[in-house]
Amino acid sequence: MTDFHPISKVTLGQIVGLIEAVDEIGGTADAATVSQEVDMDVDRLGPILNAGEFLGLVTVEDGDVHITDVGRKLLHANVQERKRIIREIIDDVPLFRLVMDTARAAGRPLSRGEILDALSARVGSHQAQDLFKALVYWGRYVELLRYDSQSELLSLRTPSK
Amino acid sequence: MDARPLLEVKDVTKSFFENGKEFKILDLVRFDLAESDFVCVVGPSGCGKSTLLRIIVGLEKPTSGQVLFEGEPIRADNPQVALVFQSFALFPWLTVEQNVELGLEAKGTPSEQRKAIARRFIEAVGLTGFEDAFPRELSGGMKQRVGIARALAIDPLLLCMDEPFSSLDPLTAQNLRDEILQLWANPDLPPKAVLMVTHAIEEAVYMADRVIVLSSRPGRMVAELEIDLPRPRNRKEPEFYGWVDEIYSLIV
Repeated sequence: MTDFHPISKVTLGQIVGLIEAVDEIGGTADAATVSQEVDMDVDRLGPILNAGEFLGLVTVEDGDVHITDVGRKLLHANVQERKRIIREIIDDVPLFRLVMDTARAAGRPLSRGEILDALSARVGSHQAQDLFKALVYWGRYVELLRYDSQSELLSLRTPSK
Repeated sequence: MDARPLLEVKDVTKSFFENGKEFKILDLVRFDLAESDFVCVVGPSGCGKSTLLRIIVGLEKPTSGQVLFEGEPIRADNPQVALVFQSFALFPWLTVEQNVELGLEAKGTPSEQRKAIARRFIEAVGLTGFEDAFPRELSGGMKQRVGIARALAIDPLLLCMDEPFSSLDPLTAQNLRDEILQLWANPDLPPKAVLMVTHAIEEAVYMADRVIVLSSRPGRMVAELEIDLPRPRNRKEPEFYGWVDEIYSLIV
């Protein structure tokens, strides 16, 4: 259930920015060089590297960051194609799957409270908040979830393209 | 053929007066901007570049000199000129879509058209899925995308940007620079010309076809450089660094 954690608190824009930076350095670079080049210390860069690795866009081995084929595809894609690439990846993440399946089975929007309860039971309430935010961010980004922050209801959405 | 430039900045000087003493901010700034120009004004902080931009969009009056847009003195309510702010300037109580629609409302676009136009530009900046989100739910990079969508939605000829990336972390900023260049390369989308103000020399060389370099206070033009590097540009290439070095040496 904590499988979404690496991509909470990180945006796709940051991950793409990271891939661009590694690409400019030559496609492979050690994390220290990347950190220096982009002027971000390891505390800030670490979560973005982890997120990129979690999504299969970069690999990090012995401190070396390498862009994967999917990462390269994402780098050269336009804004709309990027959405489709990430949608395919996110759709396979178990936590995301679970929420999608639950919403589908319920046949109605799920409330923030219900989802938080389900998450809290597994990871504690503090982390549940982070996971919920991440779920909303990535779900909206890939256009599979809709969230109304006023009614606090999460529902399924059909992507526009 | 209409040879008239889109924008003419003619000997713009700006001074502030305090206790009868004159403090000059900008001194005789003069340049033109034509269709399909992407121009960056770069200079150290305090060189008056943001003031210059405010004068160019008509929000402030120059002490002397003038700014012409399509041959006429610029007016702040000109719908052909859009501005993107460093601080995003979104209305927190409005959703993404409502924020983007704002400029269209001001322009008098009928409400049934507004939604379709807003959606088109929300898609162009990659924010489809966030139409109903409020600014507090967005990261800085996404907020600036809303600012860009709002500016483009009014179909401006000239897009002005005031340090649009300086509130963003370095990776988000780099990603957004590239996305803006992608939008710029799309001939189906506005604007016809871009004028961006920045203190980041690398950023200016990365983005612009022409860089105007201002000295520190008062801001005077010290150079106007054509950056003839092919796109996409690589900041690691020696030619790129040659330009960055040259501009540094002009400012410092």
